[in-house]
Amino acid sequence: MKLVVTGANGFVGRHVVAAARDRGHEVLALVRPSSPAGPIEDAVGVSIGRIDLRGGEGLVELLRGADGVIHLAAAKSGDFQAQFAGTVVATERLLDAMTRAGVERLVGVSSFSVYDYRRAEGSLIDEATPIDANPAGRDEYARTKLLQETLYRDHRSAGGGDSDRTVVIVRPGMIFGPDNLWHALIGAPMGGRFLRIGRSAIVPLTHVENVADALVLAAELNAPGAVLQEVPDVINIVDDDLPTQDGYVSLLRRLDPTSPPTVTVPWPIARGVAAGLAAANRRLLGGGAKFPGIVVPDRLDARFKPFTYSNDLAKVTLGWTPRWSIAEGIERSVAASSASSASRGLRTPSGSAGVRCPDPDAPTDRSGRD
Amino acid sequence: MAPSSRSAPLTSGGIRRSPLRAAVVGAGGISTQHLGYLSTSALVEPVAVCDLSAVSARYAAAEFGVPRCYGDVAEMLETERPDVVHVLTPPQSHRDLVLMSLGAGAHVICEKPVALSGAVLEELLDAAAASDLVLTESQNYRFNEPVRFLRAAIERGDLGEVRDVEVAITLPVRDPAGRFGDPNLPSPIHALPAGVIHDFITHMTSVVLELTGPLVIDRVLAAWSNHGGGELFRYDDLDAVVVAHTDSAPVHARLRFDAATAPDRFRVRVRGTLGSGEVDLFHPFHELDVARPVGRQLTPIVNHLSNGLGRARSGVTNLAGKVMQRDAYEGLAIFLDRTYRALTGGEPLPVTTADLRAVSAMVDQLLAGASR
Repeated sequence: MKLVVTGANGFVGRHVVAAARDRGHEVLALVRPSSPAGPIEDAVGVSIGRIDLRGGEGLVELLRGADGVIHLAAAKSGDFQAQFAGTVVATERLLDAMTRAGVERLVGVSSFSVYDYRRAEGSLIDEATPIDANPAGRDEYARTKLLQETLYRDHRSAGGGDSDRTVVIVRPGMIFGPDNLWHALIGAPMGGRFLRIGRSAIVPLTHVENVADALVLAAELNAPGAVLQEVPDVINIVDDDLPTQDGYVSLLRRLDPTSPPTVTVPWPIARGVAAGLAAANRRLLGGGAKFPGIVVPDRLDARFKPFTYSNDLAKVTLGWTPRWSIAEGIERSVAASSASSASRGLRTPSGSAGVRCPDPDAPTDRSGRD
Repeated sequence: MAPSSRSAPLTSGGIRRSPLRAAVVGAGGISTQHLGYLSTSALVEPVAVCDLSAVSARYAAAEFGVPRCYGDVAEMLETERPDVVHVLTPPQSHRDLVLMSLGAGAHVICEKPVALSGAVLEELLDAAAASDLVLTESQNYRFNEPVRFLRAAIERGDLGEVRDVEVAITLPVRDPAGRFGDPNLPSPIHALPAGVIHDFITHMTSVVLELTGPLVIDRVLAAWSNHGGGELFRYDDLDAVVVAHTDSAPVHARLRFDAATAPDRFRVRVRGTLGSGEVDLFHPFHELDVARPVGRQLTPIVNHLSNGLGRARSGVTNLAGKVMQRDAYEGLAIFLDRTYRALTGGEPLPVTTADLRAVSAMVDQLLAGASR
């Protein structure tokens, strides 16, 4: 097939391009006009399309002749308006162009951030879990991903039941990989240390190469020549043998020489402080105060509340199995980060200077980091 | 001398029922400020949001309880017949949208700049006058508390006769992650005559005129620069002096915009024959150096102590404002409320056609320096 990959030079996109090529697909990699294409620039079987989806001019012409789109591009930082434009308006433009270009196959990459985490601790999060119907207390990333999913569902409905339109929403858990090992589901960087929240919650992780495999398999669902099957509306992607927060941090400490010193706040204390501040805000300030996300109950729940997870549907529907275990994923990420730093002439000593922490502007909800 | 009152009673014979029915054209960032007022005021009922992006219109309407959305302005005007249209689109589209709205019998509240030249402004004002409708422009910073503080000090006579006003804005507009610095989808603002500074020049000139009253401009010295270089930005720096006079005295105004220094500021300083005052609109504080009833020797000391205490109070107030999500758009709600009171109750308009003409004339003269 000829697959279009949006956000193709991003953290996940470059691995999706590689996975699509590995499975024999031709790839049109869409990259913003001023962004470096990176390693996909000279890849065989990959052409580069320069476009900003928020504008969309020329997008129909780029899409003509494609068999499907894997839509990764999204805004992960900035204020609500910036993320609305980069995620929601960009998706609106893409879906409109796909309709006009006659491209009926879409893998819409969403995020675990869309779920409603007000449910009971320890309950199962899977594809049947309700999404957040009242996201006012969530961060900009979660709110814009929810709006994006509405567009995906409208696009599916607009195709009608009898058409060739295939729309699969894929929700990855926390995607880890090079430069995103110490991420928002563990805590947040604080000076030269890393502030951890909680110890025993299971972390819904997926390694960036594993999720790339799953996205390409999702694009192949009911492809010409494939055995026809019922396509689920949503597929969650998490790896096997998910670790607890303590287990994951232990692996990082063992495998990542740049691991920072940590300070851990137990989950009940963090949740109690957030609940107390929220109550005070409601009673004393009419709910008008805005506090940092790490003390907002809905945002805290979305990152650290203990749940269980399933990847059964992905395995059954896509025939997917994670290529790498969590430990192997960390090893590969550490090696890739070291190689990247070395090639850029950066030092990677132990200690805070080389800590591979997420971008401070990155979304702080339980997001897929697509 | 205190500035003269430039508010005038609404003489329009247009529609005056309460609440008025308002439509918003353009669902971008500033629409949240307009819709925030429209959805809470008893004077007006928001009836429609119109935007080329259907999802943007739907989202804005859902957030603020507006019943209907449109993607086509003509269809919206024909169907809704609104009493007031808020034009909140990029400036290049203002002329056509204002004329369409006036043609549909609606008063127009337009984001700044309502027109890109004095000639176009006159065309729009003529169209409004011919239909006996109101056309006004969001000169919102005139109504922010720090500017009102300075104006009150002038009206009390604390500063004497105003001789010098300086308005200085510093913002990192070149930040690639910001709305102006992103090279992937250049903001339409870059295509305006003053480039990105055009987005701020109405604010700067309207604040000057709020504090001086009507001016006759004698000459303008304007240095427009693109210190950061490149093709995206036409200018990123303005250093201008306007030499003018009122009925009774000469007045100098300095307008300064820069993208390189820190911290962010929207600083306004007024100097008069008896004293001076300084405020900031982004991080509000007030300072006055005025005559005190303690004698010439002690007056500076009392001013320092008073201003020091004022700065400390501002720190506390601004911290509370940050927690309570107050922003620099406080003046916009005041402007809108006073405009709707004018439209429904015959009170004076807060921004008159004379204000629009005065701002436009100063901007035209500043831009003449740019073209040179």
